[in-house]
Amino acid sequence: MLSFEQVEERLNFWQWPHHPYEVTVGNMHLAFNVKTMVMTWVVMILVAIFGIVATRNANMRRPNGTQNVLEAVWEFIRGLVYENMDKKKGNALLSIVITYFIFILFSNLIGLVPTMSSPTADYNTTMALALCTFFLIFIFGIRYKGLKYFKHYLEPFPLFLPIIIVEDLAKPITLTFRLYGNIYAGEVLVAVLLGLLGGWTHVLGGFVASTIWLAFSIFVGLIQAFIFTMLSIVYVSQAVADHH
Amino acid sequence: MLEFNATLLAQIADFIILLIFLRAVVYKPLTKVLQDRQDHIENNVAAAEKERQEAEQLKAGYEAEMRRAREQAQEIIQKASKAGEDQAAEILENAKKETVRQKEAALAEIQREKDKAMAELRDQVANLSVLVAGKIIGRKITDDIQHSMVQEFIKEAGELPC
Repeated sequence: MLSFEQVEERLNFWQWPHHPYEVTVGNMHLAFNVKTMVMTWVVMILVAIFGIVATRNANMRRPNGTQNVLEAVWEFIRGLVYENMDKKKGNALLSIVITYFIFILFSNLIGLVPTMSSPTADYNTTMALALCTFFLIFIFGIRYKGLKYFKHYLEPFPLFLPIIIVEDLAKPITLTFRLYGNIYAGEVLVAVLLGLLGGWTHVLGGFVASTIWLAFSIFVGLIQAFIFTMLSIVYVSQAVADHH
Repeated sequence: MLEFNATLLAQIADFIILLIFLRAVVYKPLTKVLQDRQDHIENNVAAAEKERQEAEQLKAGYEAEMRRAREQAQEIIQKASKAGEDQAAEILENAKKETVRQKEAALAEIQREKDKAMAELRDQVANLSVLVAGKIIGRKITDDIQHSMVQEFIKEAGELPC
């Protein structure tokens, strides 16, 4: 039986460095997690390829396979957006939340491919996405309501101001750690299972647990991508909703 | 403990780059296809509805025309039957008139024949009377006298009721 660190070391097929890559620009000290960055670029390339393949021969009458998938995703999320806000405001948000969904889904699923890891298993990535939502809430709120948007901090009662500020701050933090926790836990459990059931147990059926967990991780990855997208839509729609 | 580093900023930049790329390369054609399809379907539905309306109008037109034609036919039949009746009545009337006329003509003919016969009869009677009278008197009277006598007799006889 191997410890988690030992398994991680053995699974480090691409020899990812253990420490962040550090750059100093002027007097700013910047550190980058190399694995996360590279995997993000891989995911971006995959998403781009997926998108290009899906729309390369986009056909109005007979959509081909990939186009069907993208259209299904598009129409599903468009349905969610239109349910929560009116069409004009929704169209501005639509492309962003669909990018959320596709990007997070690909990120979650790529961690299940052997030797790869999820960009979303790093809280820097999930925090980046959650901050995008956080800013979107304000951008949409101010764009459609002007400075009157900030009035809701004093409603229904000015005394609630701290509570509402906490609520606002809780949104990106819960988004960050819900996604990060689910995906990181998935990766950890894959490694733990490999460590626990290593060696001869695999021959005797030890792979079954890993297989089941991988199948479940596909489901979790899909659900988490959906939840992140859905919550982003709901938060933004709350900010632009006319009734308060 | 959590250690956020510059990866966070890089990931925001990555996400924005991906978003811009997808918007430019993927979403534009996709929305175009979806919009085209929606327009196509809407056009088809609208066209179908329009055609249905046209068909209904046509049907209504044809039905009205048929009703009018039926009415006209009815009218024609009525007119024809009325004309037939009139004609029959007229023919009957004519026949009656003709009958009456023929009857009158026949009566007139009969009367004329009768008059003629009477006239001849009177002539004959007169001649015979004169002959008989001549024989009785025994003397020959001239033709002139005879003629005047006959005329006189006819005159008298004409006044007789017979």
